[in-house]
Amino acid sequence: MTLAGALHIVKAETLVQAEDEQSPLDGCFAADLMSDVLAFAHPGSLLLTGLTTDQTIRTATIKRLPAVLIVQGKQPGSEMLEAAAEQGVGVYATPLSSYECSGLLMQSGLRPYRKRAPVETAGLVEGGRGGSE
Amino acid sequence: MAVVSKADVGTENGRHYEFPILGRAYFLGGRASTAVKAVLTVAGVDEDTIQRVAIACYEAEMNVVLHGRSGYLTMDIYPDRILVAVLDQGPGIEDVELALTPGWSSASEEARTLGFGAGMGLTNIKQQADEMRLESTVGEGVQLYLTFRRRQENHG
Repeated sequence: MTLAGALHIVKAETLVQAEDEQSPLDGCFAADLMSDVLAFAHPGSLLLTGLTTDQTIRTATIKRLPAVLIVQGKQPGSEMLEAAAEQGVGVYATPLSSYECSGLLMQSGLRPYRKRAPVETAGLVEGGRGGSE
Repeated sequence: MAVVSKADVGTENGRHYEFPILGRAYFLGGRASTAVKAVLTVAGVDEDTIQRVAIACYEAEMNVVLHGRSGYLTMDIYPDRILVAVLDQGPGIEDVELALTPGWSSASEEARTLGFGAGMGLTNIKQQADEMRLESTVGEGVQLYLTFRRRQENHG
């Protein structure tokens, strides 16, 4: 599914246009905790979040996420949008909740990029990166 | 914005960079790591290594922003590895072992509103780095040393 296709499904409004809305998404990830995004999201995924701070954009930049979908009708401030424009990260807003968006996108065929489940302690993690659904 | 400056100094085999980090400057949290990523990209480092270094740096930078008064991040790019040190002045960590427990956090509510402070930072860093050393003196600060072995032989 392309980014444009996903945005249409969740009735998203464009706040900052992504560099390429016609590119296929590699997955989708929903979280408000940026540590989880950094640890588990897959590059190329659409990020669904309710967090409207600059940290969302920095996280997207570092994880190479093409776009962020702000859920629940929240309106990000101008600083976040400026940071997004500067970094080339798309920002979109939807009145739907994270749960509704996830359901709709999943139903439409946008699969999560599945990484191995986190193990109990960090010391035991090996080869956690990569893998596919 | 000139908050992130870098000293680009050539060493014997590698290149040395420094990025200052301001404690409590929440809105700047992540700037140094974004700059780190840009430097690694320009240096031609492989994408997997860039991801690992940038993620670890971002978590470590947020630790300084959330807990420290001030600090800085240094990075040395060598043909086979990347060394990162994140040093801060601040309260330090009382129990390093406990701090490394996934989910354990001493962060404020403010940290959580930024999407951090859930006690996964050091765990994430440990997952990304090939080697990690964490040292701290209570009342003085924290020193975090990371080694990343480069996946490919792109010499940057």
